[in-house]
Amino acid sequence: MILANYLTAAALFCIGLYAVLTRRNMIKMVMGLSLMEGSTYLFMLSLAYRGGSTAPVLLGPPPGTSMRALAHGNVADPVLQNFCLTAVVIGVAVTAVFLSVVVRIAQHYRTLDSDRVREMRG
Amino acid sequence: MTGAALGSLLPLPVALPIGGAVAAPLLARISARLPIVVSLVALGAAAAVLMLEAPGVFGGRVLAHYLGLWHPVHGHALGIAFAADPLGLIFALAAAVIGALLLTYTLSELGGLGPRELGGYACLFQLLLAALIGAALTADLFDLFVWFEVAALASYGLTGFFLERPIALEAAFKILVLTTLASFSIFTGAGLLYARHGALNYAQLQVALRGHVTAPDLVALGLLIGGFATKAGLIPFHGWLADAHTAAPGPVSALFSGLMVNLGIVAILRVVFSIYGPASAPVLGLLLTVGLVSALLGAMLALAQDDLKRLLAYDTVSQMGILAVGLSTGTAAGLGGGIYHLVSHALFKSLLFLCAGAIVHRTGLTRLAEMGGLARRMPVITAAFVVGALSIAGIPPFNGYVSLGLIHQGLLERHETIPLALMLIAQVITIAALGRAAWLAFFRRAPDRGRLEQLRPGMLAGLASLAGCCVAFGVAPGFFLENVIAPAAAGELHPGRYASAVLSGAARLPALKIPFDYASPGELALVAAGLVVAGPLTWVYLRISEPAAIRVLRAAHNGSVNDYAAYAVTGTLAVIAAVSLLPRLSGHGTVSGGIAHRVSTHVVGQDGGLPIASHGGGRGRQARAERLLHAFVVRQPVGEPGDPQGLGVPVTRAGQRDGAASSHELLPVTDDDGQ
Repeated sequence: MILANYLTAAALFCIGLYAVLTRRNMIKMVMGLSLMEGSTYLFMLSLAYRGGSTAPVLLGPPPGTSMRALAHGNVADPVLQNFCLTAVVIGVAVTAVFLSVVVRIAQHYRTLDSDRVREMRG
Repeated sequence: MTGAALGSLLPLPVALPIGGAVAAPLLARISARLPIVVSLVALGAAAAVLMLEAPGVFGGRVLAHYLGLWHPVHGHALGIAFAADPLGLIFALAAAVIGALLLTYTLSELGGLGPRELGGYACLFQLLLAALIGAALTADLFDLFVWFEVAALASYGLTGFFLERPIALEAAFKILVLTTLASFSIFTGAGLLYARHGALNYAQLQVALRGHVTAPDLVALGLLIGGFATKAGLIPFHGWLADAHTAAPGPVSALFSGLMVNLGIVAILRVVFSIYGPASAPVLGLLLTVGLVSALLGAMLALAQDDLKRLLAYDTVSQMGILAVGLSTGTAAGLGGGIYHLVSHALFKSLLFLCAGAIVHRTGLTRLAEMGGLARRMPVITAAFVVGALSIAGIPPFNGYVSLGLIHQGLLERHETIPLALMLIAQVITIAALGRAAWLAFFRRAPDRGRLEQLRPGMLAGLASLAGCCVAFGVAPGFFLENVIAPAAAGELHPGRYASAVLSGAARLPALKIPFDYASPGELALVAAGLVVAGPLTWVYLRISEPAAIRVLRAAHNGSVNDYAAYAVTGTLAVIAAVSLLPRLSGHGTVSGGIAHRVSTHVVGQDGGLPIASHGGGRGRQARAERLLHAFVVRQPVGEPGDPQGLGVPVTRAGQRDGAASSHELLPVTDDDGQ
């Protein structure tokens, strides 16, 4: 089951990367980057997975488990989940900046084709 | 002051500029220039706090501070650590002081902008500097990623600062795509390392990696190096660099090139030396290769540029390559030279970009072909530019001479003659490129259209102090080398001491001597030979058409962001492949997979005391985990705003909130201890 997660993450990452490397439409590139971002979250959360574990919350253990079981480590790794939360927040900010730049480019050049927006070369 | 008291001041140099960044846009409503003044105050205060730490740190002590006072227990750190070691403090001080100088300059040059612009400018500028200081002082891998992202966000805003200039938009899109790709790389690398070792603290990771480097660790190393190399602008990760520098205003280009790019190098140093330590020996060869390629190709691209700022930007690529070469030697002289060059580069490249920005601002000219005769029209700017160019060229009384000489010395100690020769070729091309720029822009005859220069005090102060530092660090390197650079090199050469200082606070860095013979005949002969070859090369290049090699190189930089992303991705894959295959080929390092190691380093994660030994582990290990849990439950100050990772639900608080009953339920865990 957890293998499916890794495979999905890899597939998403590759689709996103494919979009970034081959699409000239800037919105599609941003979408590709968002897909890659999502795939890294899935990857992290899968790394945090432990067989038969519960959520890493110590307030009132779920029925059938004791506080001691939690303390013995039968929880998903909260730090990696934290990684994702932090990265989600950063990712939202980056996507916002991304899209506002794309909007300004579209207003100015009247195009979304990144190949027509390349005055600086060499 | 005691070490602990000094250590507890460490978050201040980061917090002050962030506070200033929040205040700046608000204060802009009162007066347009107020945000810049506030930024100056904030950065000055940050620099003062850093100076307070300086005597102890450069004396060989590593000051560590754990945010929220989550101190390490039995070598397991839970909190985010801030640690001031000599290298980090050098970079943080450089960021605060040069940042303040750049802001002083801005106040004069861009002081006429509207309140909204200046407020936003001051905010982003301080945010970027705070991120650089944070990245320099942190001792936590995930924290480093966060500062990297903060710096990246601020740099996006600053690149697109003149939004009405279309090239700024283009540059902003390129830097966004490439830096975002880099951030995925770093994020995944940090996550992989954490998942295997249950640690994020540099010191703890270093202990965990000692002698047990497995294949996933090497993949993580490749990902981290690839990501940070993008920030450093090393080839082939450099696609964003030239464009971002061209589009931004002068002081912003100076900030990018002088300070932000160095963040990548400092981070690579941390990863290679402080985290992987001795296990990373095979990586040094890779760094050497990447460095030489960047140095050579960057210099060739610089030679071909017609846009002054673009020329300087490609020279930054070249200088970062030379820095990487210095670090890759792994000897005291080479490392010291690399760190010295980090400071030198920050000084002279800021100076050159300020000059270029002043020319663009005054004349509106960006292309060298259109300039000419500026020496008469702007004598002070010309003098400053010449000082910067001579420093890069490594002419004796300037700082470049010392740092380049030390790097040469480091390469010679390792008997790397071919890399040394290649580096010298890159240096000659660099001299030719800057000589060509100086000739075309300043000294070539052109119709004199009257004096242009009206230097305000802030501009003069900025240019004079940067140029003065270039000379000072070149004339009297002895004091700086012995008291500042040598401790920094010692810290990188003895990562074990750094680790134990961060985790237990006891160790001191050993004293190190880096000899430098100022009047060494070999070094002087090299400089003279370089000048002799560079002169005719410039002349020939000005007369004849472009050589094929440079034409191909320029054609590869076709401005397509897809292609630049492809270069960076290919580069990252190549780095990962090289890092994971090299040890197998050369027989270095012990590549051993195995669950046993994994479990042993996995007993306690950084998650607020939760042991994560779900993969098994004997009775003794369990008892140890419980002891640790007990230690955290009892020892943590209960009312503290703990929760170091944001979500790592602190055991103490959970217990507190539910009252005595449930905290009682937690504590008896230790009852098994003796069984």
